[in-house]
Amino acid sequence: MNALFAVILLAIIIITFGVFLLVVSGRLGPKRQHSAVKDMPYESGLPGTDTKDTKVSVKFYLTAILFIIFDIEIVFMYPWAVTYLDSVKAGAGIYLLGAMGVFILLFVIGLIWEIKSKALEWD
Amino acid sequence: MLELADYTFYFLAALVLISGIAVITAQNPIFSALWLALTMIGVAGIFVSLDAWFVAGVQLIVYAGAVMVLFVMVIMLFDLRHEIHAFSRGILSGFLKLASAGIVLGLIVGTVYRSAETVFAPPPVETDKMADVTKALANTLFTKYIFSFEVIGVLLLVIAIGAVTLSRIRGGTHASHD
Amino acid sequence: MGVDAFETTINVAKMFVIFLMMVQAVPVLVWLERRGSAFIQNRFGPNRVGPLGLMQLLADAVKFLFKEEFLPKKAVAFLYYAAPVIALVPGALALASIPLGPPIEVAAFEMLGRQMGPYVFKLQGYDIGIGIVFILGVSSLGAYGLLMAGWGSASKYSLLGALRASAQMISYELALSLSLVGILLVYGTFNFYEIIAQQQGPLRFMFWGKENVISWLPNWGVFFNPVGMILFAASTFAEANRLPFDLPEAEGELVAGFHTEYGGFKMLMFFIGEYGHMIVASALLATFYFGGYGIPFVSPANIETFFHAQGFGLTAASALTALVSHLALLVKVALFLWVFIWVRWTLPRFRYDQLMDLGWKSMLPWALANVVVTAVWLLVANTK
Repeated sequence: MNALFAVILLAIIIITFGVFLLVVSGRLGPKRQHSAVKDMPYESGLPGTDTKDTKVSVKFYLTAILFIIFDIEIVFMYPWAVTYLDSVKAGAGIYLLGAMGVFILLFVIGLIWEIKSKALEWD
Repeated sequence: MLELADYTFYFLAALVLISGIAVITAQNPIFSALWLALTMIGVAGIFVSLDAWFVAGVQLIVYAGAVMVLFVMVIMLFDLRHEIHAFSRGILSGFLKLASAGIVLGLIVGTVYRSAETVFAPPPVETDKMADVTKALANTLFTKYIFSFEVIGVLLLVIAIGAVTLSRIRGGTHASHD
Repeated sequence: MGVDAFETTINVAKMFVIFLMMVQAVPVLVWLERRGSAFIQNRFGPNRVGPLGLMQLLADAVKFLFKEEFLPKKAVAFLYYAAPVIALVPGALALASIPLGPPIEVAAFEMLGRQMGPYVFKLQGYDIGIGIVFILGVSSLGAYGLLMAGWGSASKYSLLGALRASAQMISYELALSLSLVGILLVYGTFNFYEIIAQQQGPLRFMFWGKENVISWLPNWGVFFNPVGMILFAASTFAEANRLPFDLPEAEGELVAGFHTEYGGFKMLMFFIGEYGHMIVASALLATFYFGGYGIPFVSPANIETFFHAQGFGLTAASALTALVSHLALLVKVALFLWVFIWVRWTLPRFRYDQLMDLGWKSMLPWALANVVVTAVWLLVANTK
């Protein structure tokens, strides 16, 4: 229980520190005249364009979706991994290995399919 | 007498409520998504305060760290000006919002009402070792719910294949070029 | 309430110490990185300010503090300013949950006129029962800082850099979390203290139900899971956005990636976050694969007995043991940090498609194979 309190406390300390630094460095720095050219985002000297209609490759979304799927599969392996040694010692190792083996097989089929279908190909 | 645990709970509850409300009141969808991520983190904290350590970790890894990252990524890269107008104005969308909020509220109230005894009963056993909770979870998962577990594997496989297939469809701006 | 208030005070103090540890380690690391790179490239590096150029970091900090505030015109101010602050959080939260030494046993003592019972002081920010899962969860939040910085500063370079960075981060997170499954299989626990405790003594393993001992090797995780160690180390490089995985800030293509528009202390905060990742990665590498705070062939109990024999009291002996063990961990962490710096100035950068290929097509299958092989090996080894 105390651990949760400590986590929250540490997060608050860090955020306070960060905000404090932002404020201090903002106050201490020189105040100079701003101009339209100076306030432009750095894009190699060209006038900045609106970023909000940038077209981005669908690969990035696909990567993120596949990441979620594989991440969920890996999360299922964690409780399995923690109990595995106990089960092996208790003689039920074969059963657990089989249970996870089928799951991992599905994982592998998915991964092979992704690779074969060139979904992970970046050109 | 309020104890430390109570203060942490109230802090987390306030965090979840405030950020949850901010999700639906924020005008910019990016802020909505970021607030939702904060809500997820707060919910993970509440899981911890219920001693469901592993579920809290999963909540952090999967929801806050994967699903919401995808949402934020997608929202940041789409031109959402039309969607902002479509979803924040109009009688129909207002009605839809109210209706969906009502449905969720009804579900929560119904669940609490119908299972009041379970919800308000004191927690059964105080387990000191967090690892034991996770091991108990694993034991149930791999014995009683083994079939569901394997079905999840199949489901995830189907989703992976579906996502790739969907990304192949050359519609929208690509359609005219083919 | 008395005990509760006492514990809370201890907690608050601990949090400040952990936080200061991370923040003050960064300037030293920056100095080490600059001197180290100069050494590798046969030049001098910063050697003017103070002895060995050590004051350079102080001068840099002051310089950063006095930089002009800058906000790009179309930037979203809140996201632009919040991003560097968010970038600090995951590293520190993860660092605080790693044990830095064996717990100190404080004997009963009197303070403020009250009897304080025997107390176990853990050299750790907080003891999260599911240590590994917590660290993975917290470090997966790192992507938000990047995305907020990239979108918030309304520059194309930042946006593309953030996009690449987050895609890379999530790709390597898979290999990272999968490589740890191997070590979980071997030790069967999430708890760092138990993992470290199991790595003490000489190398001891089961084969066909018989126990074998190799007396000249320490009982470290790396001998049980070498492939997992390599995969873990490689994916932490990618998680910390270090060369050869620093594609997000490939200066030939993207200027400076997601922090193109940042300067002064705001950029330094991204730096602190990155070095925080490095420190956490090194500490985890030491904890999982190299015995953590343990000294090879010497258990904390041995050290405590030794100090006891020298005439120290119970509390003092325990504290000295913790100190010695902590130094052992520091040596290991420093070694891995040097490897981080060494690699950065030795290897060239990958191309983006090579990077994604490596993550998805090589490291993920290898990590999966590592899990299967470890599981089968454990089954075979423990079957009589």
